Amino acid sequence: MRFFAARGAGESAEDMLHEVWLKISAAQTGPISSPMSYLFRTADLLMIDRYRSARQAEKREKDWVDATGGAVPGVSDAPSPDRAIIARQQARMVAETLAALGERQSAIFRRHRVDGIPQRQVAEEFGVSLSTVENDLRSAYRALARLKEKIDEE
Amino acid sequence: MAFDDRILDQAAAWAARTADPTFEDWDGFTAWLSIDPAHAEAYDLVMAAAADATDALRTLQSATPMAAANDDPAPGIVRRRWFIGALAASVAALGAVGLWQMQPGAYVVETAPGETRMIALDDGSTVLLAGGSRIELDHRDPRFAELEAGQALFTIRHDDAKPFRVDVGGNELVDLGTIFDVKLSGDLTTVAVSEGAVAFNPRTQNVRVDPGHVLTNVAGSAEYKLDTIAPSLVGEWSEGRLTFQDAALEVVAADLSRATGVSFSVAPGGAQRRVSGSLLLEPVRQDPASLGPLLGVKVRKADSGWVIEAR
Repeated sequence: MRFFAARGAGESAEDMLHEVWLKISAAQTGPISSPMSYLFRTADLLMIDRYRSARQAEKREKDWVDATGGAVPGVSDAPSPDRAIIARQQARMVAETLAALGERQSAIFRRHRVDGIPQRQVAEEFGVSLSTVENDLRSAYRALARLKEKIDEE
Repeated sequence: MAFDDRILDQAAAWAARTADPTFEDWDGFTAWLSIDPAHAEAYDLVMAAAADATDALRTLQSATPMAAANDDPAPGIVRRRWFIGALAASVAALGAVGLWQMQPGAYVVETAPGETRMIALDDGSTVLLAGGSRIELDHRDPRFAELEAGQALFTIRHDDAKPFRVDVGGNELVDLGTIFDVKLSGDLTTVAVSEGAVAFNPRTQNVRVDPGHVLTNVAGSAEYKLDTIAPSLVGEWSEGRLTFQDAALEVVAADLSRATGVSFSVAPGGAQRRVSGSLLLEPVRQDPASLGPLLGVKVRKADSGWVIEAR
């Protein structure tokens, strides 16, 4: 609960906690390696999902209004070819942002996030320490957050 | 709103740590968040940026071949508008590898064990393909799919006029407004529904599968079995978890191999032994032997992978 409040869930903190509880209890969990960590992780992922879908809903709304000059209620947000182009442009910006950090930083980010390889294994593969991986990811996250700020402002 | 460098850097540092499955310092993290509301906002921004970037990179990887596959010159057909969902919630990428032309418009998406892939259909529906799976789709008929192997979670935009159909293991499924999970393992078809409903073989048995229910059928047989399932367990593999309720070890081994990319088999004589348990996939992927205590079995390393022994 304190975690949700701190995480910025505000008044919905209680609802969020309930949702996590439902998610976990419905799963009738058998043995899980670290229950508290599992709880927190579920909570954290829930908050990230919520944040992303809220932003995306805002953005879709805006894109739609931009594209049509007025929202038409009840009409689905049919994807347009433009959106695919924008998506590809953004992908290129992401790739450039990562490349600017350095080859290893970029490769480590991809390996960890895109391929889903755990940090310890990434460290072994690249022959670097775990804290180097952590630092590389940290600079990648920082740069990408700045990029997102820029994209969202447009 | 732009964050100052110091806060953003701290948020990025936490993000790098919390994203790792071994992270334990949630108390420390909560304490940091409590210091200043801007901390949580910065962390949200960082995590969303990382997730967006990940989606975008996957898009880039698959964009080129997809564009070629889409370039269907058939006249008189409205040019299909496929889209890449970097901007759509959690839609990661369209299949590119393992995609080739069958008949005009038809295409196959295949995943390796341990891999999952989100497929966005032209009508806004999505199909999340589990590891070691194969599905055939058709650009000209976005309301049809054939699951040829493995497992897929369908989130279908319902249209009464054009219901979505899935062929699997010789059966036909028709959506009645739906999120449902379909699995073909050997000759065993499993259909689990979490929202809406699905009609099983509407032209013959015509069984309605409601939320919280799972239907199983052996290929070639007209018989079927209906059981209940917690709706939250439907498609749980997409969240990195698998739950087995009184499942045969051979099924457990097959499901785990597909989901983790680590090869599991069952020692002779143990295939039909039943086990129950819920497990997170990532720890099993990292340490296959950890399966032993979780399911009450013995797990040993062999040349060809990991062998599960009933004990």
